[in-house]
Amino acid sequence: MSVKFKVPIFDVKNLRFSVRGTDILSNISLEIFHGEYIAIIGPNGGGKTTLIRLLLGLEKQSSGDIRLFGKKLKNFKEWYKIGFVPQRASLVDINFPATVEDIVNMGRVAKRGLFSRFSKKDEQMVHDAMVKMDILNLKYKMVGTLSGGQRQRVMIARALASSPEILILDEPNTGVDTVSQQRFYKLLAKLNKEDNITIIFITHDIGVIADDIGRLFTINQKATICNDPKEALSCEDMSALYGIEAHLIHNHKHEH
Amino acid sequence: MLEIFEYEFMQRAFIAGLFIATLASISGTFIVLKRYSLMSETLAHSALVGVAVGLVAGYNPLWMAVLVALLSSWLIEYLRSSFALYSDAILSIILSGSLAIAVIIVSLGGEFNNSLFSYLFGSILSVSEEDVMTILIIGSIALSFLLLFSKELYFIAYDEEVAQTSGIKVKFLNFLLVSVVAIIIALSIRIVGSLLIGALMVIPTVAALQYSVGFKNTMLLALFFALFSVVFGMTLSFYLSIPSGATIVLSIISIFILSLIINRR
Repeated sequence: MSVKFKVPIFDVKNLRFSVRGTDILSNISLEIFHGEYIAIIGPNGGGKTTLIRLLLGLEKQSSGDIRLFGKKLKNFKEWYKIGFVPQRASLVDINFPATVEDIVNMGRVAKRGLFSRFSKKDEQMVHDAMVKMDILNLKYKMVGTLSGGQRQRVMIARALASSPEILILDEPNTGVDTVSQQRFYKLLAKLNKEDNITIIFITHDIGVIADDIGRLFTINQKATICNDPKEALSCEDMSALYGIEAHLIHNHKHEH
Repeated sequence: MLEIFEYEFMQRAFIAGLFIATLASISGTFIVLKRYSLMSETLAHSALVGVAVGLVAGYNPLWMAVLVALLSSWLIEYLRSSFALYSDAILSIILSGSLAIAVIIVSLGGEFNNSLFSYLFGSILSVSEEDVMTILIIGSIALSFLLLFSKELYFIAYDEEVAQTSGIKVKFLNFLLVSVVAIIIALSIRIVGSLLIGALMVIPTVAALQYSVGFKNTMLLALFFALFSVVFGMTLSFYLSIPSGATIVLSIISIFILSLIINRR
């Protein structure tokens, strides 16, 4: 499944992040390659979101090295290659004046360059992203009036509109019902397999996607990398994580 | 022709008023969406410091107002992005600080109280041709910046961090937005006063938001409300002989209240 190019999308070496002398993350080294589907789990406060924020340059590391597509983070310019859906995306301010189209259009804004106008191609990409996420019929609806599941798909469509090579999703399931979640996981798996989009997904709910994901990262100040999520239980530290155990055992019963 | 348009000063007042309403309401849409509503009031008071310096030291008050408002907007943006301070608290501190400084400067200089007073409330009916030209030229440049970057500014207002991770120059555009707003405010206070400019920036957008329409329509509605209240307020003030600035403010607030009632959920 994972087509591995020589240059990893993310190349992290000895990353450390501390706040007022306390290490939030330490000694993190990892590589993420093109085409991978990676789930990140870990306890609350374990540093999952912080890791993502460091990878995206929203926080500055205390030490260590982060490379994106082979370039040092501060020299990296091609941000349109990365689609980011933050944790709070599903909790959007319902009074913000935005139609679904307005939001998905944002995905093209950075890519078009400062002085060029919205082109036919931009329109087409926005249209395609909406089709892919099955929200074309909601185009002119106000985002504030959508259900949690619909809003979630709008956020992904926004990220997809820049035709990214990698999607990073930080627990995007807050406030979304179970049926929509299932549908959402299928969409993610499809994006990974058919469109070859690399996915990094922070979640609590590892059991449900255990069949789709390639590797599992456990972040609890340090990173534990598990190359086969189905073997997660034998991975070091893994069983210390509450909740995960039960989900995985449950999932193993349905193994193909 | 209506009696009101037979006076040249009224024609000038209308041109200046309508143009300022356009500038204020369009820049105001971004300010309100960024939760920066108090920014307009704060910069209007900072501009007063510039006016006070200009009056006392004998420089052109308009350009001093632009300068001080710009410096103040950069200070606000710097404090907001570099320190763990709530932005409304920063705005509140700089607002009261500016007013205090303006009052002290004027009191030290003596005999300028009345001039400062005219900047507080504006004097739309005594607008000179030169004032109108200055506002038209510099205002047009400011407006074209806003329109050129409107999609980026909208994205930033929606989610600053996602905009940044999409590769948008968030810091630069934030500085650009507050600079443009500072210039618009400083240019406007001579005519509509520092009290009215805040109302013209913020209330039309807040009223437009009640209709729950997309970005473009929200902006257009805000523009329409601002233009309408300027025309309505000035006409009313002309025929009833009441202060124009205050009448315009109350017209906008009426539109806001009506919008609230019509769209009650």
